[in-house]
Amino acid sequence: MPPFRVTVDTGGTFSDFVYFDEAAQQITIAKLPSTPDDPSRAILAGIELLIESGARAQDIAYFCHGTTVGTNALLEGKGVRTALLVTKGFRGIYEVGEQCRPHGSAIFDIFYDRPRLLVPPVLTGEVVERISASGEILHPLDLAALKSTIRELKARGPQSIAVCLLFSFLRPEHEQRVSAMIAQEMPDCAVSLSSEILPQIREYYRLSTTVVNAYLQPILVSYIGNLESRLSNAGISTQQKYVMQSNGGMANFPASAEKAAATVLSGPAGGVTASVRLSAATGLQNLVTFDMGGTSCDVSLVRNGEPAVHHRGTIEGRDISLPMLDINTVSAGGGTIARVDRFGQLSVGPDSAAAVPGPACYGRGGADPTITDCNLVLGYLGEDNFLGGRMKLHRAAALRAIESQVASKLDLSVDAAADGITRVINVKMQEAIKAISTMRGHDVRQFHLLAFGGAGPLHAAAIAAELRMAGVIVPLYPGVHSAMGLLMSDVRHDYIRSRMSALDRVAPDELREGFAGLESQAIRDLRDEGFQHQGISLERSLDLRYAGQGYELTIPCTGTFGPDTTLTLRKSFNEAHRRMFGHAAPDETVEIVSFRICGIGRLPPVEFPRFGNENRSLAGARRETRRAWFGGVMRECPVYQREKLDVGHFFDGPAIIDQLDATTVVPPGCSLRVDEFRNLIIRTGEA
Amino acid sequence: MAQDAAPGAIEIEIIKSSLSGIVQEMQNSLFRTGYSTIVRESQDASCAIMDVNAQVIAQHVVLPLHMGAFPACCAAVTKAYGNDIADGDAFLINHPYEGGSPHAPDMAVLTPIFSDGRLIGYCGSIAHKSDIGGPVPGSCSGQARETFNEGLHLPAVRYVRRGHANAEIERIIAANSRTPELVLGDIRGQTGACRLGEQRLGELIGKFGTAMLLRAFDRLLEITAERMKAAIAEWADGRFEAERFIDDDGIELNKPVRIHVVVEKTGDRIVLDFSGSADQTRGPANVRPPLVRAASAYVLVSLVDPLIFVNSGILSVIEIRTREGSILNPRFPAAVNTYNATVHAMVEALFDALSHCVPARARADGCGSRSIIVGGRTTSAGKSYVQYEIVGGGAGGRASRDGASGTTVNQSNAKIAPIEIIESEFPTRIERFELIRDSGGAGKFRGGLGLLREYVNLAEARFSIRSSKHVIPPRGVADGTDGRCGDLTINPDTEAKHLPTRYADYPLKAGDVFRLETPGGGGLGDPFERDPHSVLRDVVDGYVSPEKAAAEYGVAVITTAQDWEVDDEATQRLRSRHGSKE
Repeated sequence: MPPFRVTVDTGGTFSDFVYFDEAAQQITIAKLPSTPDDPSRAILAGIELLIESGARAQDIAYFCHGTTVGTNALLEGKGVRTALLVTKGFRGIYEVGEQCRPHGSAIFDIFYDRPRLLVPPVLTGEVVERISASGEILHPLDLAALKSTIRELKARGPQSIAVCLLFSFLRPEHEQRVSAMIAQEMPDCAVSLSSEILPQIREYYRLSTTVVNAYLQPILVSYIGNLESRLSNAGISTQQKYVMQSNGGMANFPASAEKAAATVLSGPAGGVTASVRLSAATGLQNLVTFDMGGTSCDVSLVRNGEPAVHHRGTIEGRDISLPMLDINTVSAGGGTIARVDRFGQLSVGPDSAAAVPGPACYGRGGADPTITDCNLVLGYLGEDNFLGGRMKLHRAAALRAIESQVASKLDLSVDAAADGITRVINVKMQEAIKAISTMRGHDVRQFHLLAFGGAGPLHAAAIAAELRMAGVIVPLYPGVHSAMGLLMSDVRHDYIRSRMSALDRVAPDELREGFAGLESQAIRDLRDEGFQHQGISLERSLDLRYAGQGYELTIPCTGTFGPDTTLTLRKSFNEAHRRMFGHAAPDETVEIVSFRICGIGRLPPVEFPRFGNENRSLAGARRETRRAWFGGVMRECPVYQREKLDVGHFFDGPAIIDQLDATTVVPPGCSLRVDEFRNLIIRTGEA
Repeated sequence: MAQDAAPGAIEIEIIKSSLSGIVQEMQNSLFRTGYSTIVRESQDASCAIMDVNAQVIAQHVVLPLHMGAFPACCAAVTKAYGNDIADGDAFLINHPYEGGSPHAPDMAVLTPIFSDGRLIGYCGSIAHKSDIGGPVPGSCSGQARETFNEGLHLPAVRYVRRGHANAEIERIIAANSRTPELVLGDIRGQTGACRLGEQRLGELIGKFGTAMLLRAFDRLLEITAERMKAAIAEWADGRFEAERFIDDDGIELNKPVRIHVVVEKTGDRIVLDFSGSADQTRGPANVRPPLVRAASAYVLVSLVDPLIFVNSGILSVIEIRTREGSILNPRFPAAVNTYNATVHAMVEALFDALSHCVPARARADGCGSRSIIVGGRTTSAGKSYVQYEIVGGGAGGRASRDGASGTTVNQSNAKIAPIEIIESEFPTRIERFELIRDSGGAGKFRGGLGLLREYVNLAEARFSIRSSKHVIPPRGVADGTDGRCGDLTINPDTEAKHLPTRYADYPLKAGDVFRLETPGGGGLGDPFERDPHSVLRDVVDGYVSPEKAAAEYGVAVITTAQDWEVDDEATQRLRSRHGSKE
C-alpha cells in the first residue's frame, strides 16, 4: 500500500480530516463530530475511517494536527497550578503588567478587571540575584536562600514553575542554576525558563510568555502523550507526527509539548498556511483569508505570497511575545444573533446562539434570529442541503424568529429584515478586513478574498463587491481548508536573542557571531527531528529601531556578511520604516535590539491537485431552481452542485452553488469560473 | 435605494458601523504616520467626525478628554472663518481659551467636509505635541503663572488653503518648538488622517446620499441622547453634593484646592453645578470648561453604559454650570498646563455625588496620575534624552469588587516603561518594583494597592515630578477607609528628603536613590463586613498584613505550620467589639 498523510483540525463542533494518498496524489476529506472531553477519540475515529477504506495503519507516514487544547485551557483557566520565580524586589513586573487598560470601552467601565493572574502571589517566589544591563553580575545568586524559597513553593504543590529573572536574556546562568535546583528539589515539576522560551529584552512580555508556557506545558505534554500512545496502539509508528504552531509552521510532538505557548493559534493557523499554498498554486499573490464559521470570523492577510506575521499578540487576554500569524477575529458567524432594543435600534452580535441551541432553523429550541436563519429565509441556503442533507433546516422556525424579534419591531417585511441583518453583519466583517489591509497601508482592491469555513462562501462575494476587491476564491474544500493546510506545512522553529548595539558600530564578524549560536541551535533541533542537511534552511533577521524608540521592525538579513552589510540593513530598515509609518529618519542612529533565526525543515511538498476538463455540461451540474433575494426582490435562481462543476465552466450570477460542506452565493453582476484546481473564482461587479 | 428616504434601523446600524470604522481608520493612519513617540507609543491622540454645528458625531475614544475639545475647536474655526471655508482647507488650533485644547501641546487639525459644494461637517484630530515652546522641554511648566509661560498658542488659523499648505504657519511653528520636525511631522500626519476621513465619508455619501447621511447624523445624536435620558430617568431624583481637594497648585504649597459639585437630578434632567469650586489658581492647575464637559461626559458614560456610541448626544442631556474666575472656568490668561490632578478630583467628586443616584456603580477614589522626568543626562548612545515615566497605583473599591492594584485610573491610561529598556538606555538602575502592602484603603471592598519603584541615579541629573495625592489621600466611601498617600523620597535610608507633589528640577547626584510610592485606592463599605475569607486571601497574597487584618478588618489571621487561617473565635471577638463601639 502507498504511504498516506493524515491531517486533522479539531474544532469546537467538528473534527476535519484530510487524507492524502501519496502515490495516487489523491485527496479525500471527512468531517466527524468533535469529542471535547478527549479530542483524541474523534481523531482515532477519523483514522478508523481511513482504515475501513482499505488502508493499513503502518501506511500512515505523516500525521499533522491542529489543536485548540492550549487555547481552550487559557480561555477556561484550566491550565496547571503554576508558580513563578522572579528577581528579588520585582514582583511588580507580573502583578502590574503594563498597568494600563485596553483602548475603548474598558476606560469607561468601572467594573473592568485585567484577567486574573495565572500565578497567584502566594505562588510567586523571589530569587536573590541581579544581572545588570551590560550582563555583569551585580548580586551573585544566593543558593541557600533559593533552596528554602523552592522548598516553600514545593509545599504549595505547583505542577509547573516559570522562571524569569531580569536580563536573563543576556546571561542565562542564574536561571539555569535555578532550574537545576528545582530539578533537584522537585524532580516532577515542569520548568519554563524565560531565557529558553524567549531570550528577548522587555521583562514583562518575556515573563508573561514564560508564565503562559509553564501554565500550558503539562497540559500539552499529557495531551500529546495520550495522543501518541493512542496512535501507536492503533499501529501508527511514523516519527513524522506534528502539531501546527501559531507561526504557521509545524513542530513535532516533543517540541510542541515543550514550547506549549507556541501552539495557542494552532487551530486557525492551518487555514492561513493552506491559503499561502493556494496563493502559490494559483499565482494570485495577494489574498485576504476569510474564515467564517458558527460564532466568529477570522481574517488575515497574505501579501506577495507571504502571510502577515506578528511578533507579539494577546490571546485570551494573555500577552504572548512569540511569532504568530496576524489573524483578526470578529464575532460574526452563522450563529450570531440579531436583536432590536427598546429604542428601536437593531444590533447584530456579538452574542451567538453557538452550536446549542443554535439558530432557530436548527429546530433545537433556539428562538433568536441568527445569520444562518437569514441566509435560509433569503434562499441562499436550502432546507434540504445543509451538511450535504444530513441536517434538515426549518424555514418556518427561521421566519418566525425573524418576524417576531426583528421585522415586526422595525415594521419591515421578513425578507427586508433578513436582508438588513445580513448587510449589517457584512459591514462588520468588511471593517475587520479593512483593519488588517487598508489600515496597514495596503490597497485592498489588489487582493482576492479567499473564502472558507462553513459560512465564508455565502457572504464573500457581497463583501468583496462592497470593498471593490479583485475577486473571490472558494477552494475545492472550503469546509476543511485548515486541515488542508496541515498537509502542506513545513516545520518551523523561531529563535531570538536580544543584544543591543548601534548598527553602524557592529563589525561583520560580530553580526555573524550574533547569529551563530542561534543557527547551530536551529540546525541541532531540526537534525534531532530527522531532517537532513538539504532539507534545512535558515532565515536570518534583525529587530532594528531608531535609538530611543519603543518598538522595532524585523528586517531580513540575507546574503553573506561583508563591509556593506550594515549599510544595506540600514537602507532596508529606513525603507521599511517609511512603508509602515510614512517617514524615515536617515540621520538617526539605528540600533540592533534582537537577532532572529527561523529554522525551516522542508518536507516533500504536497500540491493542490490539478484537474483537467472532463467535458461535463453545465446543465448537468444544475440541481434545482431556488427563490432567492437579490437586488431587493425574491427571484428564481439556478442552484448548481459543486461536485458536478467542471474545470472551465463559466457563468454569470445570480447563482448558488451547493456542496457538502459549504454554499457559495454568486450575486447578479458577478461571474464565476472554475479553475484548474476546481476553485471557484468569482469576479465581482460594481457594488 | 431612494436617496432621500429617512434612514431606517438597518441604514442607521450600517452607517454607525461605518463611522466607527472611519474614525478607527483615521486613528490608525495617525498612529502609523505620526512622527513623535508620544503619538505612536503613548497614543495620546484622538480622531473624530463633526457635523456642521460642531457636534461630535463619532469619535475613536483613546483618551476621553478630547470629547469636549473637538466641538470647542470646531466652533472657533466656524467663528473665525464663517463663509470663508473651502474644500481642501485645513485649520489648526491649540488655544485653550479661543478653542478647547486642554493645554497648548494638544494641537487640533480640522478639515471641512463638502458635499455638492455644501459644508456638511468636519474631520478632526487632536494629538499631543512633544514640545511647543515655553520655558521647559515639553511645554508643561509647573511654575507657569499664565498661558504666556506655556508655549506657542495658535487661535483658529488656516493651515492649508485648497490643498496648499501655508509655509508661513509651518515656519512660525518650527521656530517655536524644541522639536520642530516632530511637531510638523505630527501635524502633517493629522492632516493626512483627516483627508482619509473625508475620502471615506465621500464613499458613504455615494452609498446613501447626503440627505440620508445627514439625517443619520442627527439620528445618531438623538439615539445616544435617548439612551442617556432613559438611563438617567431610572436613577433616584434628588440634590447631591460632593467635594474633593487637590494637594496644591504647584505655586502655593500646603494650600489644598477645592473642587465642588452639586448634582440636581429630576426625571431625565441632570444639572451639574461646579460653581462652589475654588477660585482660579496662580499655578497651572486650572481647567477650561470644554475639559469640564469632557470629564462630566466621561463619568456619565461610565455610569450609563461603557458601550454607548460616543458622540455629542451625551452632553446634550446634561447642563453644566461653572463660575467664571474659578479653577474650572478661569479667566484668560490663567495657566492650565498641568490639569490632570484637577480633572481626577472633578471626576471623583462627580462619582461621589452620583453614587446616590446609581449606588450599584459606586466606587471609592483612586490614585490619580503622575509622571516623573529625569533629564539633563546623556544616554549610552551619547544623545541627550529625557527619561519620562507615567506611573499608576491603586484604584478605589467598587460596589461589588475590590479595586484593581497597580493600574491607571479614570481618564488616564498610559503604559509603564520596561525596566530592561530604561536600564539599557539611561544611567539609572531600578532596585525595586512591587505593590505596597497595606496601601489599599480598608473596606468591604478593598482599595487597590499602590506601587513602589525605587531607582538609583547613576549620573548627575535633574529630576521633576508632577504627581497627585501625596498630601490628601484617595478617599474611601461608605465607611471604607482612605487609601495610603503617595510619596517621593530622596535617599530614603539616609537623608530621607520628601519632595512636594509637584516639583521641578531637583538636582540629583550620581548614587542618589529616589523612591516613588504611589497612592492606594480608597476602600468601599465597612471593613468589618468584609468576608473573612477575602481578608485571609489578602494576607496570604501579601496584600494585607496580619496586623492590619486584625486592626482594620477585625479578622484574626493566624499562621499555622505551612499556611494561614482565620481564627473564627478571635475574629468574632474582634468584630463584636466593633459592633458595641457604635
